[in-house]
Amino acid sequence: MIIANNLSLVYPDKTQALIDVDLNIKAGELVYITGPSGSGKTSLLKLFMGIEYPSTGSLSVMGKPIKNNSKGNIRKIRRNIGPVFQEFKLIKGRTSLENVMIGMRFLGLTPKCIKKEANEALEKVGLGHKKLSKVEHLSWGETQRVAIARAVARKPSLILADEPTGNLDYDNAINILGLLKSFRNENTTVIITTHATHLIMEEQNATFISVDGGRIRIERKG
Amino acid sequence: MRSFLFNMGYFIKESGRIIRLNLLSNIFSVIGTGLILLLLGIIVTGTSVGNRLVVMLNEEAEVNAYFSKELTSEEVEQLIEKITNLDGVRALRIVDEDEAKASMQEILGEEAKILELFDDNPFEAFIEIRIDIEVMNSVIEELRGVDGIEYVRDNQEILEKIKDITYALEILGYLMIAAVGITTVIILSHMIRQGIYNNKEQINTLKLLGSPGIFIGFPYILTGVFLTLLGGIIAVIAMVLLINGAYNSLGATIPFIPLPPKDELITNMVLWLPVLSLILGFFGSLFGLSSIGEKS
Ligand SMILES: Nc1ncnc2c1ncn2[C@@H]1O[C@H](COP(=O)(O)OP(=O)(O)OP(=O)(O)O)[C@@H](O)[C@H]1O
Ligand SMILES: [Mg+2]
Repeated sequence: MIIANNLSLVYPDKTQALIDVDLNIKAGELVYITGPSGSGKTSLLKLFMGIEYPSTGSLSVMGKPIKNNSKGNIRKIRRNIGPVFQEFKLIKGRTSLENVMIGMRFLGLTPKCIKKEANEALEKVGLGHKKLSKVEHLSWGETQRVAIARAVARKPSLILADEPTGNLDYDNAINILGLLKSFRNENTTVIITTHATHLIMEEQNATFISVDGGRIRIERKG
Repeated sequence: MRSFLFNMGYFIKESGRIIRLNLLSNIFSVIGTGLILLLLGIIVTGTSVGNRLVVMLNEEAEVNAYFSKELTSEEVEQLIEKITNLDGVRALRIVDEDEAKASMQEILGEEAKILELFDDNPFEAFIEIRIDIEVMNSVIEELRGVDGIEYVRDNQEILEKIKDITYALEILGYLMIAAVGITTVIILSHMIRQGIYNNKEQINTLKLLGSPGIFIGFPYILTGVFLTLLGGIIAVIAMVLLINGAYNSLGATIPFIPLPPKDELITNMVLWLPVLSLILGFFGSLFGLSSIGEKS
């Protein structure tokens, strides 16, 4: 699913965000990425989505190289990813339903199918009753659920959730993690970054990547 | 492609939203485009009227030869005989004073009253000669040399003048097309850029979700084409009113100008202005869209 060799990322302002990362994430894995603020978690996800390109080393996602690839091919890879951004990136002025649907429009689905599956995704995250609310009127937790619905409604092979537990109380954080985990199956890899290590300590069947100062350590359980 | 067709409804809705987001500037850009296209329409129509005049006057290779009043009718007979035998003369006939007056009365219509101010008929008899256009100039020269002919009036001078004006109009037309093209494309690409700027967050999100460029860009192309087409339609309506008005007033005052059929002019405008505006709209939006392209 994701293979990285000697991967490093230096931002234009010379910030060394990631150093010598070696990774091999398989299809169907559940992966938690933890680490202090500024350690490079988001940077890693950005690389997976082709938002940033590796400075050195190599990275392939779903068999496709991220470096030296055309814009069109990078977009194609992204179409198979369900991203939940740290800042959500929902489109203001639109309803929850429209936000979920817009992410599905260029996947070759019929309008009918798009509407049906978008509705189902919103039901699944428990927001069926808010589907016609404008996203800027939703609470933090609700907004987060819309973002998750948009990601999963696309039926992607890879779900990338950046800090989905941030700003949530304990119960809600547990709920959201449970929800995200529920989309994991043999074909769907779920990668979640989080500060909340205490919430995932119990996890028995997952991969833990801890990032610190741009270097990673991997531990597999189960 | 499939996605593209499935999303037609979405594209149209999006384009409506883009227009509403900046309604006032969009209305002004439509009016501006309409006025520019109207200007073009006027010049193109002027050129086509001018061309028509040139063709008609050319076909009418006809000169009037005035002869000395002293000539007896017998001498006039001889003169006619002589002219008929000239190379390049096709036909001729005598137009006497009365006929000359009558035809002028017809041309003047209601204004013919001024002719009544004259005690005598102020018109002279003349010979109307149809000649071969190819050898027109040499025939005119020869005619001038014929004994008894005092004065030859031809329409060469007026023809040259109309040709010059038409040529100038034609060049103006080309300049106008260039000006209209550049201006419309620039106005439009600015509108599109504005729209893109207003929606940059959404566009960025769509890119992150893997949307193909065409999916992001198409609503803007649709918007651009729609706005210029609207401008084009405004121009057509104004042109039709203008042509109708011009024919109504011109037709009454100067009936002898050979104007092209009104419907032909109108049909031209109705066909060409919208097509032109569609093309300009398309390129203008493409041009504006190029600002989306930078980074994936
Ligand atoms: N576009 C950028 N340009 C320059 N430096 C950047 C950029 N994005 C991130 N950085 C820097 O790279 C480092 C890693 O940032 P990153 O966002 O990956 O951290 P993070 O682990 O996601 O932090 P957080 O837990 O606060 O979200 C930080 O030092 C950050 O300041
Ligand atoms: Mg982060």
